[in-house]
Order: sequence, then structure tokens, then C-alpha cells
Amino acid sequence: MIEFEGVSKTYAGSDRPVVNDLTFNIKDGEICVLVGPSGCGKTTSMRMVNRLIEPSEGRILIDGEPNTSMSGTQLRRKIGYAIQQIGLFPHRSIADNIATVPNLLGWDKDRTNGRVDELMDLVGLPPDQYRGRYPAELSGGQQQRIGVARALAADPPIMLMDEPFGAVDPITRDRLQNEFLHIQENIKKTIVFVTHDIDEAIKMGDKIAILKEGGILAQYDTPENVLVNPASEFVQSFVGGDRVLKRLSLTRVGDVELEPPTGNGHDLPRILEEWSLRDALSEIIGAGADRGVVVQNGDSNGSSSGTITLDSIREISHGAGTPRG
Amino acid sequence: MLAFFQAEFAPEDTGLIDWEWLGDNFTEDVVPAFFQHIFLCFVSLAIAIAISVPLGILAARYRWLYPPLTAVTGFFYTIPSFSMFTILLFVVGLSVGRTPAVIALVLYSLLVLIRNVVTGLDSVPPETKDAARGMGLTDRQILWRVELPLALPVIVAGMRIAIVTVIGIAVIGAYIGAGGLGDLIFDGITRDFPTLYITGAVLATALAIGADLLFVGAERLMSPWSRRARGAT
Amino acid sequence: MDEFMGVLQRPDFIGNLILHIEYTVLATVLGILIAIPVAVLVHRSNAGSTIAINVGNIGRAVPSLAVLALMFPVFGLGFDSALFALTLLAVPPILINAVVGLRQVSPQILDSAKGMGLSGLQVLTGIQVPIAAPIIFAGIRTSAVLIVASVTLATFIGGGGLGDYIVEGYQRNSTAIALAGALAVAVLAVITEATFAGLQRAFTPKGLRIAQKRGRATK
Repeated sequence: MIEFEGVSKTYAGSDRPVVNDLTFNIKDGEICVLVGPSGCGKTTSMRMVNRLIEPSEGRILIDGEPNTSMSGTQLRRKIGYAIQQIGLFPHRSIADNIATVPNLLGWDKDRTNGRVDELMDLVGLPPDQYRGRYPAELSGGQQQRIGVARALAADPPIMLMDEPFGAVDPITRDRLQNEFLHIQENIKKTIVFVTHDIDEAIKMGDKIAILKEGGILAQYDTPENVLVNPASEFVQSFVGGDRVLKRLSLTRVGDVELEPPTGNGHDLPRILEEWSLRDALSEIIGAGADRGVVVQNGDSNGSSSGTITLDSIREISHGAGTPRG
Repeated sequence: MLAFFQAEFAPEDTGLIDWEWLGDNFTEDVVPAFFQHIFLCFVSLAIAIAISVPLGILAARYRWLYPPLTAVTGFFYTIPSFSMFTILLFVVGLSVGRTPAVIALVLYSLLVLIRNVVTGLDSVPPETKDAARGMGLTDRQILWRVELPLALPVIVAGMRIAIVTVIGIAVIGAYIGAGGLGDLIFDGITRDFPTLYITGAVLATALAIGADLLFVGAERLMSPWSRRARGAT
Repeated sequence: MDEFMGVLQRPDFIGNLILHIEYTVLATVLGILIAIPVAVLVHRSNAGSTIAINVGNIGRAVPSLAVLALMFPVFGLGFDSALFALTLLAVPPILINAVVGLRQVSPQILDSAKGMGLSGLQVLTGIQVPIAAPIIFAGIRTSAVLIVASVTLATFIGGGGLGDYIVEGYQRNSTAIALAGALAVAVLAVITEATFAGLQRAFTPKGLRIAQKRGRATK
């Protein structure tokens, strides 16, 4: 657990804080996304966790211990760190990049090599092919995968990620996000994730901390609640006019209560269970229908598990409350 | 005033600087040497520019020219100046005087100038050239109106390195009769007269630093879009 | 031709050749020992770096012969004067390149190094210096070649070296003697240039070479 206790940061020579009295907790195994416009202090807040920046006031506890209980370098070796521009070391091979922290911690060679191979497999870059390559030989997406692998190297319980998928095109970003969520299901790290992109925040976060200018916490909640009950006008406008749609994109068709299959559904659009409600809505409206036939994965001619109607989607979007998938 | 300097720099007997001598001979010996030096350097730089700019433009167009050009001019640049003067006199058979000095100074300037012309032209964004072409400028017009003006700061940066190098090497040229501030230094050393060689050395240093600062100023003036600290050369 | 070979075989010729090399090595090494620590000290500060680079630029402008002439009254005739002057000449190119090289390592790379728990010293020796190595070596190479040339002028303040033969050649109007000196220095300069070019390549980490070849930013 990471606890922010009244954390503020004011830089020398300035009288306005960039982070203002931040108090919130991040539970073990959760992804907490810090999101907000530029100048909201989100990166500063993250960097105070591993003490790349020291707070002016307040303190940060990690598992109940103040993060000042050990030296900054020791602390950082226990916390994974991945940043937007990736920051891979251009003069070191991929394997050496990933092995940075294990080497600092003095792991023996076999253990380090084994770990490097394991991580390269995890992020989908076969070690026998990529171990000896250099960052300049990889694509942007591959570099970001290595950046994440490097941050995971010493199996730190906590990871700090500052726009880790920022420097790639939207399609690659989407894929990297999905891959990472998939990895996270197994590794269950406690993650502080910084982004300026509300869509990424909604997608990645178990909790979202929305910060506004001056480093003030505007809302700290689950993505659903941020979308359904924005705490202020600021949050509402930051989340955007399409928050209803955003919310629909959080729920899978297979997770809502469906109406029984109708006998005759040949001219109705087919909706896959794995789709989000947003996709279903788009499909139904696009087909000029008022309902769609929900089918199981893959075979769209397979047996129907029910029908989803525009009315039911509307109801859900108004916040009748459906548990998140 | 003079007495103050004397007390400051020449505490013992005649001291390092004989101010009286300097006062008597300043206009007769020192000033001419100073202007000779400037003349020698600017003539050499002008000739070097006249050679380098066309060669640089050609090398930027026809890429295969660039490696041999830098290899040859780089070789000249590597040869120590005292050797170069000697080779020009004893192998090429030039007679003592200004000519071999000017030739050597030109040879030393070529590498830096050509390299900066090419780098400067390369730094012009392709989109800019494309836009010019799209507006109907001919290749020649693009060169004169777009590429060279944009490359100018880099070319001037090259001139700065060249002029500073040339001023320093011209000092040695006095040994083979090129005249200039080197005369004061060599005469002073031969006659064991510190006033003379210190005056020569200080003026040569001042000239080089002055030229350096002058060209830094020119560089800044010419690229108002990049007012930054001076980087490495 | 025979006369020329005769000069090369004079017993003092080898001595002066060795002295010439000795000056070059000593001045370059002293230049490194002065410039690199200064660069390490100042490169993190903007003001310090600007001062160092500007002092370096001015230092580079000072004519070699002027530096030698100005050392003459301080240290007198001979080796010490020459070595001191040559060291002064060696410092600026190394200093400028070391400062620029250390500073051009991108803030993101430094940030992620620090964020992973490298100490200040580890960031310097493990990240900054290897990445800056090609630029630092380029500075050392410039200095070394400059020094080989400048040692030739040490003869004027009684410092010896191969310049002795050039001067002797002029004084006795002997082509053979002058050329023996001039060509030996020229060859030495070319060898120095080639050696350091090789060293520069050898000290450029493979990953950086690949990055340069691909035209990707290594910064």
C-alpha cells in the first residue's frame, strides 16, 4: 500500500505549490492512474514516491514505512520505473538494459539471465532473437516493451509508469495497453500510472486520481464513479462530453443482463459477448435497428444467448449501475 | 598612467616591457605588423571562401565528391603548419615571402569551410526546398534565395573557425617572410628582447580572440531564430 | 637523398623524435587530467558549462606561438616552458568536447537511470561517460594533433623536438635537414590523427555506432 499523507511540493523560488496537500491511498495490486492537464503536478506526485523529488510537506508511506527510511538509490532499486521517452540506454544491449537493476542488486549471472529471458518472453520479444540487439535496432513499440520489461526486472512490488506508452502510434498504444493489462492480471503490481489522456486513464485504472492545476486532487475514485458522478465541473469538463460513451466502453455485453432471445432475429445485427456496450450501441444504430442478437465468441452464427436493446443500453448509461467487467 | 602600468608589470630594472621603447616604436614597428597580419589573414580567408563555397555547393549536390574532398583537405589540415611552410618552400620551390604563406593559410581553411557549407546546406529542411519548388522557383533561385541564406549561419560558423586558425598560423608564417605580428615574436626571441615578443604575442592573441568574438556576433545576427549559447565546434 | 637519409640517421635525430613524442604524450595526458575533472565538475551547471565552453573557445583562439612566447619569460628557456605552454594548448579542445559530450546525454536517459536507483557516480561512469565517449575522444584527438604541430615550435624557446631540424635547415639553407624535420613531423601528425581516429571508433559503444548508422537520435 502507498499512502500519500498531506503531500505538498513547492519549488524553491516559487510561492505557488505544484502539488497541494495530496492525501490518498493506493491499494496493493491496483493500478492508480494520475491524470490531469499539464501543470497539474501528476508527474511530480509520481516522482515523489521514489524520491526523485522530495516533498516540501507531508510524507509518503510504503507498506506503512515512510519512504525516507532508506536511501533514495536503495528505494529506487525496489521500485520499477518506466517513462515516456523510454530512456533505454543506447550503448547497452537489450539484455543489459533489462539487467540494469538486477546487476545493481548484485544478482548472480544465471539468475539475471533467466530473469531477462523470462521478461523478454513476457513482453513478446523472443530472447534468442533480441537479447544482443541495441535499442536503435528496435521499433518504438518494441522499445516501449523493453522499457516495461526493464522496470519489471527485479520483480518490484511497486511500479511507477510515466506515460509509458506515450511515444507510439494509437494502434500500437492500444495493443501495448492490452498486453500490459493482461500481464498485470498475473503479476498484480501496485502501479502509479501517469497520463494526460483520460481515455487511457479510464482503460488502465482501477482507481483514477484527477488532478487540476496547482496539484489539487479533484476526484479520486473508480473510473465508473468518475464518469457517473463527476465531483465537480472541472472533472466533468475534463472527462469530456462523451463520458456516457466512455462509461459504456467499460462494460462488456456479456456482463449485462440480457433479454431472452427473440425467435426471429435474422435481420438484426449480431453482437459479440466480448464487445463493449459502446461497440454494441454503434453496431445497433449503424444497422438501423433497435436491438441486436448477442452471440458467443467467434462464430456469429452460433447460438444466441439473448438480445440487447437500445433501451437497456440507455438504462445502463443512466447509471442504474452495472458491475464493471 | 604609464607609470602605473610600469609599476604593475615591470617591478625590476628594465623589466619585461620596455614602455619607452614601445612608445617610440609603436607606430613604426608594431602598427604596420598588426595591419600586415590582418591583411594577410583576410586575403587568405577570401581566397579560401572563393574556393570552398562552390566546392561545398557541388559536394552537397554530388555526394560522391564529399568523401574525397574531406580526405584531401583533411590531410592538409593535419599537416603541422611549420612543416607545410617548409614543404612549400623546399619541395614546391616557392620563394620566401607572402605567397607560400597565403597558399598554406588557404589550404588550412578549406576543410572547415567546405564541411560547414555542406552541413549548412544539408540542414535546410527538405520541406522548405519542396515548398520553394512548388512555388515555381528554379534550382538556381532555390540555391540563392532559400538554401544559401538558411545555410549562412553555419557557413559563418565555419569562417569563424577558419579565421581564428589562420590568424594563429600566420604568426608562424613570419618565419618564412610573410610579415605580420610573427615578425615581432621572432625578432624579439632572436634579439632576446621580451618587449618585442610579448607585444607580438599579446596582439596576436587579442586579434584572434577579437576575430572570434566578431564572428560569433555575426553568427548571432544572421540567425536571430536561434539565440542560444555557443556550442562546440 | 643520401643527405636526407643521413639526417634521419643522426644519433640526435632519434633523441629529438622521442622528445617530440614525449611532449605530445605528456601534454595530452596532462590536458586530459585537467580538462576532464573540470568538465565533470561543471557540466551539471548551466552557468559553469557556459563559462567553461567560452573560456575553452577563447583558449582555442590563442595562437600556439603566442602561448609559447608568453611562457618564455615565466619559465625561461627549455623543457618546462614548452611543456607548460603545450599543456595549456591541450586543455581547451578536450574541455569543450567533454562538457558538450556529458551534457548532450538526454534528460530522459538520465532520469530513467536515476529512477532505477543508479547512484550519481554510477550514472556518470556507467551512462554519461560511455555515451559521451565518442565526443570526448574527438576532443582528445584534436588536442593531440594540435600538440604534435605545436611541439615543432618549442624549438624557438629552446624546447627541442623535431622543430630543431626545420630551423637548422633554414639557417644552413639545407633542403635535406629542413625536410627531414618537416616530413617527420608531418608523418607523426598523420599517425597521431589515424591512431586517435581508431581509438575514437574503438571507444564508441556498439549500440551508439548502430544508432549513428541508422540516423536515430542517441540523445
